[in-house]
Amino acid sequence: MKRITPSARQQALLGAALLLLAALPGLRPWLEAGMWRHMVLQFPLLLLAGALLAATLPAPARTALARWNAQGMTGLVAVGVVLTVLMVPRALDLALREPGVELAKFAALLLAGALLRLSWPRAGLVVQGFFLGNLLPMMAVVGQLYIDSPLRLCNAYLLDDQERLGRWLIALAALAALAWLAQVAWWLVRREAQGQALTQSEAPARENSTDGNGSRFIKF
Amino acid sequence: MLRTALASALLLLCGWAAGAWLTLDYEVWTDEGARRLQVARQPVPVPAVTVQDSSGATLPLPTLLAEGGGVSIVDFFYTRCETVCLSLGSSFQQLQAALQAEPATGVRLLSISLDGARDRPADLAAYARRLQADPARWRFVRLPDAAQEQALLQRLGVVVVPTGQGDFEHNAALLVFNAQGRMVRVFDLAEQELALNYARHLAGAGP
Repeated sequence: MKRITPSARQQALLGAALLLLAALPGLRPWLEAGMWRHMVLQFPLLLLAGALLAATLPAPARTALARWNAQGMTGLVAVGVVLTVLMVPRALDLALREPGVELAKFAALLLAGALLRLSWPRAGLVVQGFFLGNLLPMMAVVGQLYIDSPLRLCNAYLLDDQERLGRWLIALAALAALAWLAQVAWWLVRREAQGQALTQSEAPARENSTDGNGSRFIKF
Repeated sequence: MLRTALASALLLLCGWAAGAWLTLDYEVWTDEGARRLQVARQPVPVPAVTVQDSSGATLPLPTLLAEGGGVSIVDFFYTRCETVCLSLGSSFQQLQAALQAEPATGVRLLSISLDGARDRPADLAAYARRLQADPARWRFVRLPDAAQEQALLQRLGVVVVPTGQGDFEHNAALLVFNAQGRMVRVFDLAEQELALNYARHLAGAGP
């Protein structure tokens, strides 16, 4: 666990490649020229890059971090804060014309991606549910606001683009909620099956059942 | 667990601070709102760019704004525009009608083209005739120099987005300038009455 395994290195390379993709001089303007591409393509690209780059974090650092991150709560709070602040319309406009804000946006999203990966498996059902229960309705509400607003909320983007982004945000929030519920249902069914198997033949297959504490749902 | 609670609280505090910075203490959510608030708090001096009016005469914009020692209500437009500029044009027509109905107040109207490369003085003149603009109260200018045009738009916080079909979308608004050539307030298109009253007040209070 201590040395960087080849797969971790591959992940880091892929993460770096994705980061480059999001930041490339030719590609960044294209990604940011449309409001929905900015938020629905570039943001997740950076989150994913951060999550992949987190693979290189050495074990001691993980242990140190974990002491400040019981149940993954600190990490998920950070992710929630980053995504909430970046959903303010002014953040998009500022990122386009202030290099400092753009840099902060990149750093915050990379960090959020990494923290999401490090925290999600540590969070139980309750913490995950609380996190999604706050973030997803907010996404949907912001999406509805973007659809309903008769005014352009960002000076740099067109009105129909804003509407398209609104629909994307609502769709993504709904999809994420469904995916998580499906995971929970699958886990419950599996645990029940394992419970029955355990009562039928008592001793074996014990080590399989021990990870059923609500962890490791969505793996990146 | 205590550490986690502490770290989480700290993060929430940072988030709150970032939000306060981004929204100017939770007063505005959009960049346009921030622009208007910042202009109201601190007037923006206009750069000394050269403009050309519909008769072809050129003069510095600050000079034009200072003429008559009055107050100017300014909008940005382009003559081929068929969307928001039309409503801008009609709200300026209403402003002109209101100004004509009263004794001279020193409030004047100025339309600046944001497409100086294509709007020639002749285009401006034709456009002014179509809107029945009164040359004594309402003037139309363009910026012959593209670099100066960019500088002016940037200074005043006017963001122009090409729509892809040869048209432009921009944060159309009523900009109120004082005689010293400072942009002192930005009003929404719908706040035309408010803009006029503010301009009247400014012209009356001025020396």
